[in-house]
Amino acid sequence: MRRTRLQGPAIWLVVVGLTALLAACGSDNGGGSTSTGAGASTTAKKAVGMALVLPCGSSDPWCNQGYNAARKLASQGVVDLKVTTGAPQDTAGASQVIRQYAQTGKQLVVAYSTWADATNPVATKFRKTNFATFGIKPTSNVALFDEPIYQGAYLAGMIAGAVTKSNVISGAAGQDVPLCHAEMEAFQAGAKRTNPKVKQLTTYVGDWNDAAKSQQAILGQVNRGSDVVLACGGAQATGMAQAIKNKNVTGFGYVSDTSAQAPKNFAGTVIYDPYPYFKKMAEDTKAGKFQPAKLYSFGMPQGGVKLQLNPSYSVAKIPASVKAEVAKVQKQIMDGSFKVPYVASGNG
Amino acid sequence: MDWSAIFGGSGLEVLLSSAVLLAMPTALAALGETVCERAGVLNLGLEGMMLSGALGAFLGAYYAHSPVVGTLCGVLVGAAMGALMAFLSVTLKTEQVINGIALVLFAQGMTAFLFEKLFGGGKQPTIPGIPDLKIPLLGSIPGVGPVLFDQNALLYASGGVAVAIWLLLMRTRFGLSVRAVGERPEAADAVAVDVARIRWIALLICGAMAGLGGTLLVIGDLNLFQPNITGGRGWVAIALVIFGRWNPLLVFGGVLLFGFTDALQVQVRAVSGGTNTTVPYELFQALPYMVTLLVLVTASVVARYSAQPAALGIPFRKDGGRS
Repeated sequence: MRRTRLQGPAIWLVVVGLTALLAACGSDNGGGSTSTGAGASTTAKKAVGMALVLPCGSSDPWCNQGYNAARKLASQGVVDLKVTTGAPQDTAGASQVIRQYAQTGKQLVVAYSTWADATNPVATKFRKTNFATFGIKPTSNVALFDEPIYQGAYLAGMIAGAVTKSNVISGAAGQDVPLCHAEMEAFQAGAKRTNPKVKQLTTYVGDWNDAAKSQQAILGQVNRGSDVVLACGGAQATGMAQAIKNKNVTGFGYVSDTSAQAPKNFAGTVIYDPYPYFKKMAEDTKAGKFQPAKLYSFGMPQGGVKLQLNPSYSVAKIPASVKAEVAKVQKQIMDGSFKVPYVASGNG
Repeated sequence: MDWSAIFGGSGLEVLLSSAVLLAMPTALAALGETVCERAGVLNLGLEGMMLSGALGAFLGAYYAHSPVVGTLCGVLVGAAMGALMAFLSVTLKTEQVINGIALVLFAQGMTAFLFEKLFGGGKQPTIPGIPDLKIPLLGSIPGVGPVLFDQNALLYASGGVAVAIWLLLMRTRFGLSVRAVGERPEAADAVAVDVARIRWIALLICGAMAGLGGTLLVIGDLNLFQPNITGGRGWVAIALVIFGRWNPLLVFGGVLLFGFTDALQVQVRAVSGGTNTTVPYELFQALPYMVTLLVLVTASVVARYSAQPAALGIPFRKDGGRS
C-alpha cells in the first residue's frame, strides 16, 4: 500500500508540536520552581502575579540578570512568578507570548527587551494588566524602564584610560542603539578623564546574536592597537571573552559578571541589576499605584547599575590613585553632584 | 577611512585569518550539502543539523572535559540528524522541503530547551577548547603563514575533511554512484545501484559534516554554546551550494568568497569606528550577500546550462518512477 504524501508533514507536525510543548514546559519551570519556595503557599495569595518574558536563554549575560532578579523577588514571596525564556524576538511572536500571560490573569507582565511595539497592542486590550518594557516613549498602561549602564561605563572608562599601554581602547556593540551608543560615549569620556591621549575604536557589529562575528570584530580592534575592550550585547560579551583571553588584553564585562570566562583579563563588569525595578513595579501593582506611562529609572544611586571589579584581574595593575579617583567619582554620581553625560546618538 | 589598516601588512593577515575562521564552519556544512544534493536529496535541515551538532559538541566537551570527545559527539549528533532526515525523506519518501524546514524548527526548539533545562539560570558555562597549532617553518612564512599554518588544530582537520569529501565525491566509485542517483536514479537502479542506500549514506555524511561545522564554531572558536549560535550559517551554506553549481571546488571557493567579504565588512567597521562612525555599517553588513548574489547571477548567465541534479528533491520509487 502506498503511503500518502501527507504522512511526512503529519509526523512532523506531531514532532514540532511536542517540541513546542516541551519548550513551554521548560519556560514555566523557571517561575514555577521559584513560586513553590518556602512559604509560597501562604504568600501566593498576597504575592503579585508576575510574568517575565525573556528574549534569550536564562544563562545569557543579558537575560541572566532579569531572570535572577525576578527569582529573587519570587523567593521573597513578593511575586508569584512565571518565566518564558527564549521568546520569539519578532514583534508578532513576542506579542503572542505577552498576550498569553495577560489572558491568564497575570497582574504584571514584564517584556524584557525593547518590545514596545509588541506590548502596546496587547495592553490596549487588557486594561487591568500592568505591562512594562524597555523603550523611550511610554503609552497607555505600559510602563517603561531604563538601563543606564552608561554610568558604570564611565567608571570603567576611567580605569581603561589608566591601564592602556597603547592609548587605544575599543568597544563592540550589537547595534548603534541609544543604550549602546551612550555606553560607548561614556566609556570614551571616562577614559579621556584619566588619559587625554586615549583614542577609542567602536564597532557596531550589526547582529545581537552572532558571537563568532563579534569575536572577529574585537580581534580586528586588538590588531589595530586596542588593549582594553568593552562590550554591549550578550553575543558581543560572549565573543569578547575568548578574544581578550587569546590576545591577553583587558576587557570589561557587560551587564552580568562573566569574568570566570577569562579571570585574568576581565578588569571588571558594568553590572545592571533590574531587581530594584521589578521590586518597585510589584509594589506599585500591589498598591494600585502602577501608573500608566510611568518611567521607572534606577541608576547607580538606586542600585540599578554598578561597576564591579574583578579581584583576579592581572593583565595590568590599576594605579591606586585611579582607584581612589574612581571611588570619588562614584560617590559624586551617587550623591548627584556629578552627572555622567548621556549621549544617545551621533547627534548628541 | 584608512584602507591600509585593512589591506596592508598585519591588517591583511588579520583579514584573511578572520575570513578563514568565519568561512570554515559554513564550508563544511556546504560540502556536506553538496554530497546529499548530488545524491538527489534537497536537505533544507542543514541549519538544524549544525545547531544540533554544536550542542552535541558542547555537551560532550563539557561533561567529558575533553574537546576530542566533544568533537566526536558533535559529528555523531549531526549524523543522527542526517539519519532522521534520511528516514523521512528516503525511507518514508515524504516531502523533502517540509522535512528540512521541520528539522530546523525541531532543532532550534530542542537545543534551546535542552540547554535551558541543563544550564538555565546559572552563569554561562564554558568548555575546554582545542589550542592553536603553529606548523614549524610554514607558520613563519610572512603573510600566508599566520593565515593558513598558525590556526586551531580542528581547523586543519576540517580542511583535510573538506579535501576528502571532494575526493570521495569526484574521484571514487561511491562518488559516481552518488552523482548517478542524483541525476538518473532509474538508470542507477537498473545497474544494481541501491538508490536508497546511497541516499542514506549521503545524508549521513551531510549530517556529520554539518555537525562538524557546528562543532568547529563551538570547540574551535568560542568555547561555549548559546541558543541559535549558528546564526543562519546553514541557510547560507545551502545558498552557496547553488552558487557553486553543485561542484565541491566551486562551492568551497564560494564559501571562501563569502567569508572574505564577511570578514571585510567586520574589519571595515572595526577600523572605521569612532563612536560616531561615518561609514554606513548597514551597507557593509549587506556586502557579503550582495557580492554572492552578483556572482551567482553572473555565473548562471555565463554557464548557460543548469547544473542542478535532475532528480533533486524527488523521492525515488522503484515501482512507479519518481512520484
